[in-house]
Amino acid sequence: MNIEITDHKGNKVIAVSGDIDMYSSPALRKELLSLIDKKAANLLVDLSRVSYIDSSGIATFVEGLKMMKAGGYGGRLKLIGMPEGIMEIFRFSKLDNIFEIYGNVDDALNS
Amino acid sequence: MKNSAVLIIPSHPKFLSVLRGLTAAMGELSGMTTMEIEDVKLAVDEACSNVIKYAYSGDEGKRITVKFRIAKDRFEVIMEDTGIKTHPEFIKGRSLEDVRPGGLGIHLIKRAFDVFAFDEKKKKGNRLTLIRHKKNIKKSNEH
Repeated sequence: MNIEITDHKGNKVIAVSGDIDMYSSPALRKELLSLIDKKAANLLVDLSRVSYIDSSGIATFVEGLKMMKAGGYGGRLKLIGMPEGIMEIFRFSKLDNIFEIYGNVDDALNS
Repeated sequence: MKNSAVLIIPSHPKFLSVLRGLTAAMGELSGMTTMEIEDVKLAVDEACSNVIKYAYSGDEGKRITVKFRIAKDRFEVIMEDTGIKTHPEFIKGRSLEDVRPGGLGIHLIKRAFDVFAFDEKKKKGNRLTLIRHKKNIKKSNEH
């Protein structure tokens, strides 16, 4: 797994690639929670190059979402470019209605 | 031993990718669709992650043995460890309506496999048998 964090029009974009599993998800969790600690207003996670995700990866995003909501500063966690195989796991887990999911960065920022 | 394979890996999460690779290859050999292979790969990964987390309490120096068998009517995976005994009666995932981190793995295992059974006769450690019947192709294609 590889993580790249960039700024896009003042918003933080975390681009993840490769496999998110029990081995790699702690690194993702660290980056995600660090940005939430810094009260990133719009936090966009680009999953378009993620080839695999397990329950530890899903749990990382659930924890991030809960922390953002608990932070009470109006921050929004948005998942973008989700491949169909990963979307299917979110649907099965009934998380597709819990997360804000968009096709691309511009759609996410215009929402 | 026909149509079977055995993988022995350390209980370190970095070896999960090796397990996924063999699971996918065995799934392909058994004639599964791409979608079925993805489901089975995820389920076997989740079962192995549980061994590392719970049976071995995160100890990365133990051993996990995974046996694959392809039969005419089934795809079978047997996972063995020497860790803390699992009590099947206490294994239940969270309700899918209850959104919180964790508790999802067991659902992902049970959606891919028809049989999820621990050998209660095993004295030390655990032996988990996962069986997917081949008639179950429709189950995956319905996603």
